[in-house]
Amino acid sequence: MNDTLFTNVRILDGSSALPWSGSVLVSGNRIRQVGRGPAPLAPAGASVIDGAGATLMPGLCEAHTHFSWNDAATLSAIQRMPLEEHVLWCAKVARRYLEAGWTSCVGAACAKPRLDVVIRNAINCGQIKGPRYLAASQEITVPGGLGDETLPHLPFPEFSFGVNVNGADEMRKVVRMFLKYGVDSIKLNLSGDNFTPDSPAETSWMTDAEVAAAMEEVRLRGKRGTAHARSAASVKQALRHGIDVIYHASFTDEETLDMLEAAKARVFVAPGVAILYAMLNEAEAYGISRAKATAMGYQVEWDAALESLSKMHKRGVRVLPGGDYGFAFTPHCQNARDLEFFVKYLGFTPMEAIESATVHGGQIMMRGHELGLVKEGYLADLLLVDGDPLANLSILREPKRILAVMKDGAFAKAPEIASARSLGRAA
Amino acid sequence: MANVMFSNVRIFDGSGDQPFQGEVLVSGNRIARVAKSGYGARNVPLVGATVVDGAGAFLMPGMVEAHTHFSWNDQPGLDAIQRMPPEEHILWCAQVAERYLDMGWTSCVGAAAAKPRLDVVIRNAINDGTIVGPRYLAASQEITVPGGLGDTTQPHLPQPEFAFGAVVSGCEEMRRCVRMFAKYGVDSLKINLSGESITGMPSEMSQFTQDEIATCVQEAKAWGKRVAAHARSTWSIKQCVKQGIEVIYHASFTDEEALDLLEAHKKEHFIAPGLAWLINTCHHASEWGITPAVARGMGYFRELEAAIESMQALRRRGVRILPGGDYGFAWTPHGTNAKDLETFVRLVGMSPMEALLSATAWGGPMMRMGADQLGVIREGALADILLVDGDPLADITVLQDKARILAVMKDGEFHRAPPVRASRATRWAA
Repeated sequence: MNDTLFTNVRILDGSSALPWSGSVLVSGNRIRQVGRGPAPLAPAGASVIDGAGATLMPGLCEAHTHFSWNDAATLSAIQRMPLEEHVLWCAKVARRYLEAGWTSCVGAACAKPRLDVVIRNAINCGQIKGPRYLAASQEITVPGGLGDETLPHLPFPEFSFGVNVNGADEMRKVVRMFLKYGVDSIKLNLSGDNFTPDSPAETSWMTDAEVAAAMEEVRLRGKRGTAHARSAASVKQALRHGIDVIYHASFTDEETLDMLEAAKARVFVAPGVAILYAMLNEAEAYGISRAKATAMGYQVEWDAALESLSKMHKRGVRVLPGGDYGFAFTPHCQNARDLEFFVKYLGFTPMEAIESATVHGGQIMMRGHELGLVKEGYLADLLLVDGDPLANLSILREPKRILAVMKDGAFAKAPEIASARSLGRAA
Repeated sequence: MANVMFSNVRIFDGSGDQPFQGEVLVSGNRIARVAKSGYGARNVPLVGATVVDGAGAFLMPGMVEAHTHFSWNDQPGLDAIQRMPPEEHILWCAQVAERYLDMGWTSCVGAAAAKPRLDVVIRNAINDGTIVGPRYLAASQEITVPGGLGDTTQPHLPQPEFAFGAVVSGCEEMRRCVRMFAKYGVDSLKINLSGESITGMPSEMSQFTQDEIATCVQEAKAWGKRVAAHARSTWSIKQCVKQGIEVIYHASFTDEEALDLLEAHKKEHFIAPGLAWLINTCHHASEWGITPAVARGMGYFRELEAAIESMQALRRRGVRILPGGDYGFAWTPHGTNAKDLETFVRLVGMSPMEALLSATAWGGPMMRMGADQLGVIREGALADILLVDGDPLADITVLQDKARILAVMKDGEFHRAPPVRASRATRWAA
């Protein structure tokens, strides 16, 4: 691998330090030197990228990713995609995330048992292009809960979006199966969701015995538990059982907030606010008018979530971007929109929003000591951005403004040559 | 889509004529102009076209692989192919499809897939742009009989998922099987009519009743599908002609009657012998335990000799013999397929011109396209084009070397663009 020297870049290092002009030398897959001021480092054989003042920042981390959601409007439409097509879909989406600047993604659940594992392995062995990836299980749910898509006359498990379990023993068996398949995390649907009216967001579904059985197996194998937890009771249940990654956390009370704050050194919250916003404001084309969304409970949840998440942020709980992109109303690769939502609705500064996607991203990837900062010795996951994300976060979801994406020292998207030639010569 | 002008190239147009110096203009996905250069020639107008100065390179139609198995995974046996889970298998196929295009095969004829939908899904994904690959005709799994080639179930593991092929017995099971693959959307049905020595059932043995074969052909034709057969034995080759099976794979063992039949019906059949499998199993598989002595014991030396004799005879009689076949095993890895052209010249008696035509002009009809649409460089044809460093007519082996294939264009777009002569170390952003 050649060395790469970025000169003349504005470095936004992910640590909350203000950006500065400088240069960055990448050697192999690591950042070797970060220099201040205009003087370039000695390039000695390195490819030199003159950034012309563009922003160089850490690659972004998506904390709540579903590669296998296929931009459809219903769970059933995701489930009906055949296995072979589904794998190719995931491969294509993985590549798009990387090229959009997401150099790391935390899998939050997949739609068929092995999709996430296979995609992670294919990325790691170089067969396909994609971000660093932690592979999730399917959603584990209980009969009637979010993700049980079987119908009374079609009770076959293959029809179900999630895996249905009943009781601690079945839970243990299913968790073991996913651990055998090689997942990095086990996803439990502890609460309902307003998307499925028979199991709305404020309902909670699993017994403590079931959750305890799952987490016992998870700990035995050194893996991680994650939870779909919209209700206050489900958030508390997750915290009680040592689940570190909490998705949604819309509804909280004082006790919940205190518990979250007490656990803030280990807990990550990835709320996926975009889907709440989209259901209320942008889903009309898919038959969900604002009135219908309100009737489904989305207005109540939106209000509650903004309050809960703002309070969490104030208390220093890490709230991370990402979540539930992959539906028709939240298509993949618009994920950086979350950072704008964080600023607009949750009281983040733009710098805090950047940190949530970079330094906190390294931490949720379980590599905080080497990922998520532009810092000497860190892994070379870097973005070159045309413009200043601190002044305008929306540029992070414009493909043209993402000039280059580097993952692990190699360009996933190479900067364009300014003077590209139209004349190709052979021989 | 920008227009592309190839200037200063030596054009092999697939007509059988000697190559000539000239220019080729591609407009959209078609070849718009082919012009000879020379005294008094009028140059093609250049406005709005990207010009590729070929510097004398050899321009030819993209090649057609007539007997492709994307889902064979470069392993030493059928079992190792079958044990790959479907998720990994589909990614493998996608990767291999791109490799074929890289190596200049702009069209491939699927000859059987290892799981029911692999070929269909890959074809569709290529066509809708999800993945990169050649034009592709999708095949079914191999249809076989209990105990036949492709039945890899074991007595204590009788589940059909263990079988490499689709195992049927009787006309009604055959009919159901063909209908299932037709429903899945295959372009062709693959039926195993003979054995294959490495599997324990010798190549000279045949399988299926005439009624079962007739049912397969009848049902396939009702759905507008093509039938292709694994046919090494003499009986199975004759069955292909008698029952109207268009594509004959292998055709190793012939007798006078078989040769006469094939000659009489030569417009109706394509032969893709897959000689690399026989050659490499005899001579290049020791690393995997198939020493020449083992291969001889299995009967592969005898079959190789017979197959070469058959191909020589068929070539003399004007039967179309096409390259490709059974690449995708450990000792016939994907991407080395152009070795077949060298084999045609060295062993079958083809001239380099014939070998090149077998991979191009004869490929158009093999892809079920008009002979003026695919496999030729002529005005109005689809723009599947290779730019080659060297002269395959002087040295057919240059087509085996990826570095010598300077550019690959499929459907008017570069899959591999010609290298820019001087590239720069400094890239500028913004």
